[in-house]
Amino acid sequence: MTNVQTGSGYYLGSLAGSSAKQLNKGFLGAILALACLLPMLATAGVISVETVNMAGRYMALAIVALGLDLIWGYTGILSLCQALFFAIGGYAMGIHLAQQGTLHNGIPEALYVVYPYKVGETRGMEVLPWFWAVFKSFNLTLVLGMLLPGLFAGLIGFLGFKSRVKGVYFSILTQALTVAAMMFFSKNEMKLCGTNGLTHFKTIAGYELSDPNVKIALYVVTLLCLVGSYVLCLAITRSRFGRVLLAVRDSETALRFAGYEPFAYKTAIFAFAGMLAGLAGMLYTPQANIMTPSYMEARWSILMVIWVAVGGRGTLCGAVVGALLINLLYSVLTSQWSIGSFDWKPEYWPIVLGLLFIVVVLALPNGVMGVWRKMVGKVTELD
Amino acid sequence: MDWITPDYPSENPAQNSLWDKKYLLFLTGVTAVFDGFKALDIDYFGIFHNELRVIIGPNGAGKSTMCDVITGKTRPTTGTVHYNGEEITKKSEAEIVRSGIGRKFQTPTVYDSLSVYQNMELSLPGPKGVWSALTARETKVERDKIMTLLERVRLLDDADTEARYLSHGQRQWLAISSLILSQPRLLLVDEPAAGLTDSETELTGELLLELKKDHTLIVIEHDMDFVRQLDSRVTVLCEGKSMAEGPLDEVKVNPDVIEAYLGR
Amino acid sequence: MNWVNYLKLLLLTSALSVQADPVIEQLKKLGSSDKDVRSVTLQEIANSGDQRMIPVLSDYRMGSLYLYEDNVVLGLDIFTNDDLDEFVPIADLFTREPLLQADGSAYLIPIEEIEIIEPSRKERKSVLEAITLLELSAPDNEQRLEAVRKTGLGDHSPILISKLRNLSESDPKRSIRKAADESSALLLLRFGTPAEQATAIEVLGKVRSVRSRSFLENLDRPDDPAVRKALKRITTKERQISTFNILNSGISSGSILVLMALGLAVTFGMMGIINMAHGEMMMIGAYTTYCMQELFKHTPESPNNIFFIVALPMAFLVSAMFGGLIEWTVVRRLYKRPLESLLATYGVGLILIQTTRLIFGDNRSCNTPTWLQGGVEIAEGMSLSFNRIFIFILCAVCVGGVVALMRYTTLGLKMRAVIQNRDMAASMGINTRMTDSFTFMLGSGLAGVAGYALTTIGGITPDMGQNYIVDSFLVVVTGGVGNLAGVVCSGMGLGLLNKFLEGTLFGAVWAKIIVLIVVIAFIQYKPSGLFAAKGRLADD
Repeated sequence: MTNVQTGSGYYLGSLAGSSAKQLNKGFLGAILALACLLPMLATAGVISVETVNMAGRYMALAIVALGLDLIWGYTGILSLCQALFFAIGGYAMGIHLAQQGTLHNGIPEALYVVYPYKVGETRGMEVLPWFWAVFKSFNLTLVLGMLLPGLFAGLIGFLGFKSRVKGVYFSILTQALTVAAMMFFSKNEMKLCGTNGLTHFKTIAGYELSDPNVKIALYVVTLLCLVGSYVLCLAITRSRFGRVLLAVRDSETALRFAGYEPFAYKTAIFAFAGMLAGLAGMLYTPQANIMTPSYMEARWSILMVIWVAVGGRGTLCGAVVGALLINLLYSVLTSQWSIGSFDWKPEYWPIVLGLLFIVVVLALPNGVMGVWRKMVGKVTELD
Repeated sequence: MDWITPDYPSENPAQNSLWDKKYLLFLTGVTAVFDGFKALDIDYFGIFHNELRVIIGPNGAGKSTMCDVITGKTRPTTGTVHYNGEEITKKSEAEIVRSGIGRKFQTPTVYDSLSVYQNMELSLPGPKGVWSALTARETKVERDKIMTLLERVRLLDDADTEARYLSHGQRQWLAISSLILSQPRLLLVDEPAAGLTDSETELTGELLLELKKDHTLIVIEHDMDFVRQLDSRVTVLCEGKSMAEGPLDEVKVNPDVIEAYLGR
Repeated sequence: MNWVNYLKLLLLTSALSVQADPVIEQLKKLGSSDKDVRSVTLQEIANSGDQRMIPVLSDYRMGSLYLYEDNVVLGLDIFTNDDLDEFVPIADLFTREPLLQADGSAYLIPIEEIEIIEPSRKERKSVLEAITLLELSAPDNEQRLEAVRKTGLGDHSPILISKLRNLSESDPKRSIRKAADESSALLLLRFGTPAEQATAIEVLGKVRSVRSRSFLENLDRPDDPAVRKALKRITTKERQISTFNILNSGISSGSILVLMALGLAVTFGMMGIINMAHGEMMMIGAYTTYCMQELFKHTPESPNNIFFIVALPMAFLVSAMFGGLIEWTVVRRLYKRPLESLLATYGVGLILIQTTRLIFGDNRSCNTPTWLQGGVEIAEGMSLSFNRIFIFILCAVCVGGVVALMRYTTLGLKMRAVIQNRDMAASMGINTRMTDSFTFMLGSGLAGVAGYALTTIGGITPDMGQNYIVDSFLVVVTGGVGNLAGVVCSGMGLGLLNKFLEGTLFGAVWAKIIVLIVVIAFIQYKPSGLFAAKGRLADD
């Protein structure tokens, strides 16, 4: 019987040559320099604060991509519920922020307008649910926003991997879970503000969210978190743990017969990726000023996978580059513009995205990073 | 060479503890049934300490299924497997491996995207948990051991090559040397000579005979010349049943075996 | 009066005199000043059974009948001019079309010149009774049944009760006889003497009249053993009805799931391809049906039912064609990479959805052919609609067709061979590429048929497939990959479970969430589905 090693030939190895590492470093350095430059440009008035805010949101999304790259690119598990973990983090922060805004009789505006009254209850009889009260403290919110998605991911991973649900089955399962969760969060009775989601934020840790300086500060925090997550992920992939993850991807059976319990490693990395997604959600929500159940739609989870695929999976750098690139493309292609007599319409964006899915899978299995290495690699050889 | 005749119990199989002293591995009443098809049906089967046993048999005789049952990959429908005085029938693969049973698969399983050295590194004995993997670094002794083994199987020059670039024979050797590195007490080697050139086969045979000194081995093989080179006790499996047991020359003239191999 | 007016009058009389109908004479008698004449006439009309008289009698009751120039006409809404003079536009009694003068203008009769025919306040009730009697003698079975049921909830009158008794003894339809019993019992329960009530309670219990529950409870006699017995029997009946409805909607949503999942069972279960564009193949089937409707110019006003027959093969073929195109351009390159096939086909789905949206806009709907409208009532409160029966049959035919194709045709044999061992099949001379294409096209075509079926129960949107794709995958995974029997069992099972939860304890959303969680838990417990392959086949 042949051991099907799903597309292993199409990944970039973790241990690419040292010249490739240099290239990665150069690439990352350039991005980092540009990222550090943005706030300065904004204070100098060259670019708007909104641009910095947008970049901040995209960097938050890049953190999700890092986690997804660990589980998909390295470990070979295609999870379609990263959006769920992202949303849990986002909801944690959102519930906290909503309580810092206008209150009606102790009830935040966002909940007040869609409060599910029971029979006999009228305006003025609202009760703040206990799970809202938990998130009153900012510090506790920061902890729970990562812990909850981490624990939840750990639970899903434990149950799924223990009973050896693998490959596409795991993908389908996680997608079904996300659908169920979205329905759950959309229900008004859950007192999570239904489909409206969490809105009406005013301040974070006492600072006005509308203040340009606060926006820039949030950007800087996000950038730091991204760099921190990157370093942490790098440390993981360089350890023996990282090599076990690659071994899981190559041949789980062989690993089991080398005395490892693959499910423990898979669960651990899945929980870690869940925590990263939660962190990203927490950073995203104050910058986007909203968090709704629509972030749990299936398309979001799949979109996150495509960030990693476009960037080049199996390279952490690729995950970050992919997330930033696609989101940049998104903001360009969902606005209206024209070149000469050609009018671009936002309606064309899904078609471009669809083509991107196909082209990346069929023609660019190593993504942008693969192309970059090939191009620059040839040049250095000539030198 | 003097052959120890196994004295499998005739009736009462309740004295496992006694046999454990004699046998490293013991199977009683093991059957494996898939959709009504009995792939394996073994009343008694024992391996002595420090024995090299070769299992032969036609295709579909249940050789691989027997390995699967011993290593926990397949749960037997009935029966028990005892190893080193302990029942391992219900343990997980990784637990069985950690208790000292190593296995090389028919198709050599190596991790394609890891280098040869990293492949070996993952087979180092020691804790295999998540936390230890985050901090683990090989000691100098361990590194030297890996290098010595790689030298023995002529893979030293390729230590930093990703395993996907290895030839079939090199993969076989990498799989075998990883297995040796993990220091199991009992080795299950499934068709180590399959697809190898003559000189490669010879080296593989030498390796196995070296191992025989301080390990217990079960080797599944088709290549009769190779079996002869190993010069050890042979068990013939046919249709899931153990048909004959003894030295190769003895087994070869057994009429049942001839019929099973040459067809009805 | 000048001569022109005289001429008009002459023309009018001649126009009206065309209606030389005995009915008119009867109606004239209703305008009589003698109370007894009116009452006898009303009874005559009521007993005539003339269905045309039902609207006329309601007009009479509403005071819209007029006697004009020795004729009975229908008066329309009174028209007031600027001088506050009132005029009555008149219309034909039966057609309700305005009567026109020779020059084509409508008659407007000054209100003083026209005499109204209307019942006295006391008589109004008996007019209503007469209308009910007429309805009860409707020749059409459905209408008569409806009238019989309605009577039970209406006002009491001895005449109606005797008419109902009459029906309960002599009506040719059993359901009507039963309904007549129920209705007369209901009337007696509400208006009868205590003795009559006691019999009524017994009858209502015997016929298990669901409608009588509130009246029985309103009696406020919870300790009366007769009432309790009747209520108990009614509860049994209600349970039967709700069980039936759950089964009905469960089987029908199960059939849709099976239809959807059948195509996936072919592409995913047999080929191992995760086709995320499967939902879009369904969407294409639905839009093909829509295009056929436009092509054959089928509208509710002028139905052209042939479109629906043509649409079935067309939906299959067009979806299969698209499937073939996708297989040829994308899927073919991804046979050994199932996870990547998920991503690429999702991209294909995005393109198809958006292109459809750009071409057709957002919402379209198909009008079902006339013979799928309505339904059949098997018992009171239990009816099957034709479109659901149709979907069920379509589903059964498709399952049977796929099984037959797999078992009894060479193509099916080749498909099974390629699925089981691609290399071996290729070496036996089977063109695996062609077989793959065919298998994928078959799966896509089946999705198209599912889309075709869906047009009979809902609207068509470009992203309709997205609502079904996750469910369909769950059905296939639960059923056991590559196993048609498993798909049918799990599809029906999930459909029933969903409707059961929805119908008993929870709302629709909770039911859906619970079903998803049950499936997820089930896959934990049995990772390879209901009907799992074992042994060597089970690996990877």
